Amino acid sequence: MADLHPDPTVAPPAASGRPDGIAGSRLPGPFGVGAYAGKLRDELRKRARVQLVGEVFNLRHSKAKVYFELRDADGAVPCSMWRNELERARLPGGALADGVQVVAAGGPDYYPGSRTSSPSFSFAVTALRVAGEGDLLARVERLRRTLAAEGLLDRQARLSRPVLPHTIGVITGEGGKARDDVLAGLARRGWAGRVVWAFAPVQDRHAAPRITRALQDLAATGQVQVIVVARGGGSLADLMGFSDETLCRTVALLGVPVVCAVGHHTDRTLIDDVAAQACSTPTHAAEAAVPLHCGEARVALRGAAVRLQTHGRRALLERARTLRRLARAPTDHVARHRRRLHQSLREIRAAGARSHAARERDVARRALVLSRKASAGSGADSAARHARLQALDAALTALDPERVVERGYAVVDDGAGNVLTSARGARAAGAVRLRFRDGPVRATVDEDQPDATPDQGEHP
Amino acid sequence: MSDLPRPSPTPPAAAPAAVASYEDATARLEAIIRRLDSGDAGLRETLDLCREGRTLVEYCAGELEAVGQGLQELALDDLVDRLEAGAGPGPS
Repeated sequence: MADLHPDPTVAPPAASGRPDGIAGSRLPGPFGVGAYAGKLRDELRKRARVQLVGEVFNLRHSKAKVYFELRDADGAVPCSMWRNELERARLPGGALADGVQVVAAGGPDYYPGSRTSSPSFSFAVTALRVAGEGDLLARVERLRRTLAAEGLLDRQARLSRPVLPHTIGVITGEGGKARDDVLAGLARRGWAGRVVWAFAPVQDRHAAPRITRALQDLAATGQVQVIVVARGGGSLADLMGFSDETLCRTVALLGVPVVCAVGHHTDRTLIDDVAAQACSTPTHAAEAAVPLHCGEARVALRGAAVRLQTHGRRALLERARTLRRLARAPTDHVARHRRRLHQSLREIRAAGARSHAARERDVARRALVLSRKASAGSGADSAARHARLQALDAALTALDPERVVERGYAVVDDGAGNVLTSARGARAAGAVRLRFRDGPVRATVDEDQPDATPDQGEHP
Repeated sequence: MSDLPRPSPTPPAAAPAAVASYEDATARLEAIIRRLDSGDAGLRETLDLCREGRTLVEYCAGELEAVGQGLQELALDDLVDRLEAGAGPGPS
């Protein structure tokens, strides 16, 4: 390892009060250890990058990295891998776990440490895949197919889910954040019923049997209407337990619906496939366990109660009105009949009068026709006109003074034809003419004084 | 909760006949109100529906009240102990 000598310009020996070397040693130095560590890292990083195959052992997680050993029968190498690089490998949940055979690509690296942190050597893994018989993904996939063939994948989904459970069983890690999330989800639903907590480890290899037991116990109480299985944070490797065959068969055959919040969006564990519903977070799982929003339900129920009351009151008022109508019915009935009789009577009378008038008109028309026919028979209208002329003639004749004279009266005039109709006129004329039927006679008025009695001139 | 219709003094031990759950009760209730709103129901039917609806509202109010009294938290082990101590047949 002669090429590991630190650069003499970086750490010149014995130039700044550095202690002397070991007496008699022919090796160079002493050099500052930090400089040497940095050089060592640089030299290791120059080594060829390779792929190793081995079994994962002692898998540990830190905030940024995962650590494990790769082992086989002949030896082992400590490995580290950045978490973001592990996630880029897109391993299914639980795929990376102790005992799993993997192929890891990378190269040796050295962490030089510092005054306050320890140095470490590791094989820096930059890519990884699960391989061989220990391939968990393949095992989970095989199990999924088996359960599907047995009809176990949709048994839970077919269970009827109460929208408003009174008691909810929750299986989660004790003291984990998942517990608060579940409570937050329930609060968001306005639900404040009974929660039965069953705490179980959700991250290690004991998780599956403990969760299985909790599921069975919760169902056996006969008190819970739905069970939530919630895993808080944690890494992908923690998910292995949730693909456990016994656990998944238990969930599938459980009579109580199970809502689980185990994995992230990208990784799907087997419990997601057998449960009644799989949610992304414990909060969502809690909300899914209580589909009904209790606050909204209360408002809706109040509305329904009010509407029922309105309808009921309206119906009762209607009934009261109907009863009142029924009570009045006999009187109304008689009155109605009386009105109807009166009406009929009026109609009958009117009809009689109408037919009488019609008959009269008929008779008159017939008489007219008959008389016209008679007139036509005796020279038509001329006869009537003749008769009318005769009548007029008679009237004129009756008014003719000559007719009066002929009947024995006399007309007095002054001789010139002016008729004298008064005694005064006659006296004034002195000489008069009397016209008799057979001729006129001249006469003289010989009376000077007016008579006491008025003179009726025309009197004979 | 105070202005919700209170459950009757002797709360219905079970859901009204032919109603198995809260969702059934609300579904029936909605159907009843739809029928009443339609105005097609006669007097007799209206009064019958109102009576049935009131029973359903009481049932639902009771159900909501059961999950509205405040969260009650219980450990599974305590529940199992309580069931085993009780007269009821607890899980063996």
